Amino acid sequence: MLANYLIGLREGLEAALVVTILVAYLVRTGRRSALRQVWTGLAIAVGVSLAAGAALTFGPRGLSFQAQEALGGTLSILAVGLVTWMIIWMSRTARFLKSELQGRLDGALAAGGAAVVLVTLLAVGREGLETALFLWAAAQSTGSGTDPLLGAALGLATAVALGWALYRGALKLNLAKFFAWTGLGLVVVAGGVLAYGVHDLQEAGVLPGIGSLAFDVSAAIPPDSWYGALLRGTLNFTAETTWLQAIAWLAYVLPMTWLLVRRLWPRQAPAPTRPQTEHVAA
Amino acid sequence: MRTRHLRALPALAAASLLLAGCVANTPDDGSISVTSSADACTLSATSAPSGTLTFSITNAGDQATEFYLLGADGHKVIGEAENIGPGLTRTLVVQVDPGDYVTACKPGMSGDGIRADFTVTGSGTAAGPTAAS
Repeated sequence: MLANYLIGLREGLEAALVVTILVAYLVRTGRRSALRQVWTGLAIAVGVSLAAGAALTFGPRGLSFQAQEALGGTLSILAVGLVTWMIIWMSRTARFLKSELQGRLDGALAAGGAAVVLVTLLAVGREGLETALFLWAAAQSTGSGTDPLLGAALGLATAVALGWALYRGALKLNLAKFFAWTGLGLVVVAGGVLAYGVHDLQEAGVLPGIGSLAFDVSAAIPPDSWYGALLRGTLNFTAETTWLQAIAWLAYVLPMTWLLVRRLWPRQAPAPTRPQTEHVAA
Repeated sequence: MRTRHLRALPALAAASLLLAGCVANTPDDGSISVTSSADACTLSATSAPSGTLTFSITNAGDQATEFYLLGADGHKVIGEAENIGPGLTRTLVVQVDPGDYVTACKPGMSGDGIRADFTVTGSGTAAGPTAAS
């Protein structure tokens, strides 16, 4: 049961993390009305994943590995793009919050509202089909003393609970810290998804270098340990990481972190003189 | 109007991708059963005619396992089934051209796994559009 529990936890964590940050962000910026869009995206992603998973498991036709990989790879690239957009969107809002240009803040929020559904949809849907296929397989299994489905479901529930705990914590941070930490959190999540996509392409032979590992720490961090599952679920950290994976991760995370630090920690930069009157939002 | 059409494009693309990738579920005839345990990876057949192969992998161990169909070089992944928890049976459907391959079970999800050779013979059936060799 523990092994199935850890798979459920790992598969659920990333989505829980992104959705938690999105919800916390909307609440902190006074946009509770946009929460409905988050739940809409969530319901669609979960519903479609479970239905597609059931159709492929019990129906007359399954999905070939090649098609599943093409779908997963495409969704991963889209997810990286959308989370990157979300990071930039949030950091812009943070700047406007600081300069108290409420009119421009509202403009930025309005522009982003429409994409909230899409971000949620992709964050949950990216691993949704694989998780659904895993769940249906667990449901089908003839439990031998243990109950695989119970383990899998408890794992997913734990991921949601961890997301909830993170949400409570995020509400207590002051706004500057909130933006800094959630921004950095999203950067490493997106970097992980990118590295994972690169690894998939290397496995398929589209990109070279599957055999050249930058490091192999699977002895110290076994992928089937609870900490291995946590690292994999949040950062997409793989104990056996190829050079190309590591380079892709660094090439994403370093510039994005630099961008965030520049935007969110401009402590000693002299503020340009701005007129006190508010601009009318065009 | 135009933007609405554009928004539907990704969904359409995904749908057509899914339809093109749909293959018949053949659990009874022609499926190769694999049993993965802590120290063994037992296949019901070590060769098969080319085309659509279905592996049905059962995890008889107490660690999560993975199953791979690899190219002759032992690196290129032709197909992979992940997240096979203890007690679970999962299916890998993959379109394969004739040639030499390697199968691997990875109990514990790390290392090279328990490997064996696998041969795909010519059957006159094309492996399908997505199975770029």
